[in-house]
Amino acid sequence: MSEIGIMEWAKKVRENDRMAAAKLISAIERKEKVARDVLKHLFIPVGKTTVLGVTGSAGAGKSCLVSCLIGAYRKRGKTVGVIAVDPSSPFTGGAFLGDRLRMQAHGRDRGVYIRSMASRGYLGGLARGTVDAMRVMEAMGHDVVIVETIGTGQDEVDVARLVQTCLLVLTPTMGDDIQALKAGIMEIAQVVVLNKTDMPGKQKALLELEVALKMRRVEEEGWPVPVVPAVATTGEGIDEVMDQIEKHQVHMRKGDGLKQYAFQKAEKEGSVIIKDEIERVIFDHIRGTGLRRKYLDKIVAGEIDPYTAVEEVMALFIKKSKKHIQVQ
Amino acid sequence: MKAAQKTVPVTQEKDVDWDKYLAAYYEKPKSSLTWSGLDVKEVYTPADLPPERYKDIGDPGQYPFTRGIHRNMFRGRYWTRREVIGMGSPQDTHDRSKLLVEEGGSGLNTIADIPYEMGLDADHPWAQNEVGLTGVCITNMYDMETMTADIPLDKVSWSLITASTAAVVTMAQYAAVAKKRGYDLKKLRGTVQNDPVHFRYCGFRPASPLDLSVKLGTDVIEYCTKEMPLWYYTTVNLYDLREQGVTAPQEVAFGFLIARLYIDEMIRRGYKVDDFMQRFAFYVSCHIDIFEEVSKIRAARRIWAKLMKEHYGAQKASSQQFRFAVHTAGCSLVPQQPLNNLVRVAYQALAAVLGGVQSLHCCSYDEATCLPTETGHTQALRTQQILAYETGVTNVSDPLGGSYYVENLTSRLEEEIYKIMDEVDKVGGMYQAIEKEWLDRVFEKEALTRQKELDNRDKILVGVNMFTAEHETAAPLGVQRIMKASVKRQIEMVKKLKKERNKTLWKEKILALKAAAERRENVIPCMITATEAGATTGEMMGAVRLAFGYPYDPMEIIQAPF
Amino acid sequence: MKKAKEKNKDGKIKVLMTKVGLDGHDRGVKVIASLLKEAGMEVVYLGMYLMPKDIVDAAIDEDVDVIGISLLSAGHLVFTPLIVEEMKKGGLDDVLLILGGVIPPEDIPILKEMGVHEVFPAGSLTEPIVTYIRNHVRR
Repeated sequence: MSEIGIMEWAKKVRENDRMAAAKLISAIERKEKVARDVLKHLFIPVGKTTVLGVTGSAGAGKSCLVSCLIGAYRKRGKTVGVIAVDPSSPFTGGAFLGDRLRMQAHGRDRGVYIRSMASRGYLGGLARGTVDAMRVMEAMGHDVVIVETIGTGQDEVDVARLVQTCLLVLTPTMGDDIQALKAGIMEIAQVVVLNKTDMPGKQKALLELEVALKMRRVEEEGWPVPVVPAVATTGEGIDEVMDQIEKHQVHMRKGDGLKQYAFQKAEKEGSVIIKDEIERVIFDHIRGTGLRRKYLDKIVAGEIDPYTAVEEVMALFIKKSKKHIQVQ
Repeated sequence: MKAAQKTVPVTQEKDVDWDKYLAAYYEKPKSSLTWSGLDVKEVYTPADLPPERYKDIGDPGQYPFTRGIHRNMFRGRYWTRREVIGMGSPQDTHDRSKLLVEEGGSGLNTIADIPYEMGLDADHPWAQNEVGLTGVCITNMYDMETMTADIPLDKVSWSLITASTAAVVTMAQYAAVAKKRGYDLKKLRGTVQNDPVHFRYCGFRPASPLDLSVKLGTDVIEYCTKEMPLWYYTTVNLYDLREQGVTAPQEVAFGFLIARLYIDEMIRRGYKVDDFMQRFAFYVSCHIDIFEEVSKIRAARRIWAKLMKEHYGAQKASSQQFRFAVHTAGCSLVPQQPLNNLVRVAYQALAAVLGGVQSLHCCSYDEATCLPTETGHTQALRTQQILAYETGVTNVSDPLGGSYYVENLTSRLEEEIYKIMDEVDKVGGMYQAIEKEWLDRVFEKEALTRQKELDNRDKILVGVNMFTAEHETAAPLGVQRIMKASVKRQIEMVKKLKKERNKTLWKEKILALKAAAERRENVIPCMITATEAGATTGEMMGAVRLAFGYPYDPMEIIQAPF
Repeated sequence: MKKAKEKNKDGKIKVLMTKVGLDGHDRGVKVIASLLKEAGMEVVYLGMYLMPKDIVDAAIDEDVDVIGISLLSAGHLVFTPLIVEEMKKGGLDDVLLILGGVIPPEDIPILKEMGVHEVFPAGSLTEPIVTYIRNHVRR
C-alpha cells in the first residue's frame, strides 16, 4: 500500500475504500511510521461523528448489544463503523476475535464496517491504536463509530474517556463485574445497560447499581447516569438505550459542551501520543547501541538500580538532543 | 475387477531400525484410562461385584433392564441391519436403497441432505449448490414418491433420518404417499429421527429455534401415537452429541435430558407416559473403547428404566425400556490408511452388539473422505453380517453381564451420568443450558481436549499420531460422486411443480396450515393436506415458522409466496 | 493493490476461520481456531451461513493473512472456485487460502489447481497446520 503514496492512501480512505482503510488500521496496529504519516492527512473536526464506547466484562453481551445498536442506527439511515477489541493472550500472544460473529447479521450491509482488533498487550498501545482506528473510521465518513472493549485495565479506561458517550454493560450476575467497578470504569460511563435481565437477580442488581452510581466520585454536570435494563439477544430495551444515547448526545453538545469534549479529547489524545512517541523515540535512539543490553546486564549484576539506569539513559538522550537542536 | 489385473509389487528391502524394534518389544500402554478418562484398576475381583448388587442389575428382559430389554435377545431376532443412505436425487437414493436390500440389509435407512434438514426447497438460492451432496432432498410429495417407488411400504421398516424441525414435514410427506398408494397408516413400521433439538445444538441454529424444535418434535410423537402406532416416532440423537467430542457419560446424560424435553411436552399436552412411550427410541454412538461402550449402554438402560418408572410413573415395561439404534462413531474414522477404518468399525459394531443393540448402522471405511461408495456401503453391511452370522455373539444375551469389570464400570458410568445431569440442573435445566449456550461451551471445551489428546499422543490413532506412513490416504476404491445431472433435473422439477400446481387449492391449504400453527395445534394433519395440494418443504416450514414469529426463510433470503 | 513492503514487525499472523454455505458442522473449525490462537495467531471467527462474497468481504475489512475454510458438506469442489474468484475480484492475491474438513485425497490436487494453497483434511494434527501457515504467510 505504501507505494501508492501517502496522499493517495489518505484519499482512498476518505473515499471509503475498505481495503485502504483495512490496511491502514493494520499499519496502525503494527505501529508503522507510514500509518502516522497517513493519519496526519485524516484529521477531521471533532463532533461530526457520533462516537460511542461499549465496555463491560467478557460475556456481558457487548457484541450482541453493539449488533442491536448497528441495526437501530441503520434503520435511521446512518452508516456505522465498529472497532471490536478482544484481549490477546498474555502467554501466547494469540487472540480469538469472536465479536464479529455476533454482528454478522450486518456483514452483508455495505453501510457497516466492522474491524476486530487484538489488544496485543502493549503498554498504552491499545488506547493509541484504537483512537487511531476511530479516526480512520471517521475519515471514511461513518456517521457513527462504536468502540467495543473489555472494561478492565487502564487502557480500556483511556479508550472510554475518548468517546462521547460510553455505555457500560453489566449483567445481573455481577460477580465478574465488581472488577470493572474497581477499575473505575463506572466513573466514566454515561449510560449503564443492565443486560440479560431475563435472568434471575434483576431487581437486586438494579438496586446495587443505584447505590454504586450514587457513590461515584465524579459526576458529569446535569447528567444523572441512567440504568437501562435490556435483553440484547431479543432486542428488548434497545429503544430505551438508543433514547438515552440520544439524550446524552444532546446534553453533551449543549452550550460549549462539544468544545469541552473536543478539548478533553485533544488533551487525552495528545498525552497518549506524547507518551507513546517518547517511548518510541527513546527506544529508537538506543536501538543498536548496545546500551539497553549493557544496562540490563548491570541491573542483573546488581551494579546499578533501574531508576539510576533510566536516569542515565535519559540524560544521555537529552544531551544529544540538545546538541541536535543547537545545530539546527 | 480391474484390481485383479494389477501386478502386486514385490516388497522392497528396507533399512530396519533395530533399536526401535527392541523398544517396541518392551513397549507397554502409556495410559490405563478409558476413552472417557475414567481411571480403571489393573484387575477386578468379586469384591467389585457383591452378590446383593445383582438386584440392581437384573436378568435380561427384567427391570431395570441393565442386561437388555429381551430375555432371549438375538435368539428372538437379529438386530436390524440398516445402512444409512442418502445421495443425489430421490431416484439415486432409491436405487442405492434397493441395492442394499438385495445384498441382505434388513431395514431401509435414508438420510436428508442439509437443505432438506434446514427446511429449504431444492430451488432455494442457497440450497442449489448443496442439494443431494450429503443426503437426499425431498422438496415435495412427488420426491417422496420417487424415493419410495415400487418398495412395498407394508413389508419394510423404513428409517427416515430427518433430525431437524423438518422431520414433521418428512412424516407428512411419507404419510401422504402411503395413503395415496392405499396403505393403512396404522400398519406401517419404521422410524423417523425427529430430534429437532439435536439439530439446534449441532450448529444448524436458524433452522431449529428451540421452542419450535420442542413443539414440532412433540407434534410428530403425538400424531404417530394416534395414527401410526407401530412407528418409532423419535430416536433421540445421542450419537451427534458424542460426535461433538463429549465423553460417553456426557453423551447419555445430555441425550436423556433432551429426550425429557419432548416427554415433558407430551405430558403438558395431557398424555401419560404409558400412553405413548412404547415407541420412544434412541440413536447412540459406539466409539472404540469396547468395554466402556458396552458399560455405557448398560448404564443407560438402567438409568432410563428408573427414570421412567420412578420419576414418570411408567407402569408398562415397554415404556421403561431403553430401545436404541447404534451408529458407529464417524468421528473415530480418519482418511489416513483408510482400510484401518474397517477394523475400527468392526470393533465398534461388536461393542454395540455386546450391548444389546436393536438396530445397527456401520460406517463405511471411506466415510472420512466422502459419501459411502457402493463398495464401502456393501462392505459395511458385510461387517454386520460377519458379526451376526459367523462370530456366535448372538447366542447368549448380555454375554458380558456379571463381569467384575463391566458391572463395576457400568455402575461408575451410571454415577458419572447422574453427576452430569445434576450439573445441567444447576444451570437451569437442559432448555436453558441450550438457550444460554452452556452446552455449546461444554462442546467447545471437550472438542478442544480431544484434538489436544491426539496432538500430545495421550490418545493414539493409528496412521495419525503413530505408525504413520506417507501416501496411504487414497481411498483404494475411488470416491463417491453425486450425479450433477440428476440433481439438476430434480431442481427443475421443483420449479415446474411450483408453476403448474393448482394455485387456489395450494394457497388455501398452506394458509390452513399456518392458521393451525397459529392456534398451536398439531400441524401434521394440515401438512398432509398441504403436501397433497403441492405445497413444498420450504413453504410448509415457512408457514409454521411465520406462525411462531420467525422469518419465513431461515436464511432470510427469500420471501413467503403466500 | 499491493501490500506494504514494510515487514510485519511483531510477526502477528491474522487468520479468518469460517464455514461456507449451509454447512453447520462447526465443531472442527472452532477447535482449529482455538488452537491457532494458542499458537499465537489472531483468529477472527466468522461462524456459519456465509457465502463466498461474505467471506471475502470480511477478509478485506479485517485485513487477514490467511482464510481458513472448513467444509464437511461435500461442497468443496462447488464452493472453492467461487471463493477463489471472489478473492481475485477483491484483490486478495496475497492471502493464503486453506481448506479443512471431509475432503477426498484425490480432490486435493484439483483444489490446488483451482487456487487453494493447502488442504488439511479430517485427521490432521495441529502442528503441521501451524507450521504451514507460519512458513507460507506472504508478508
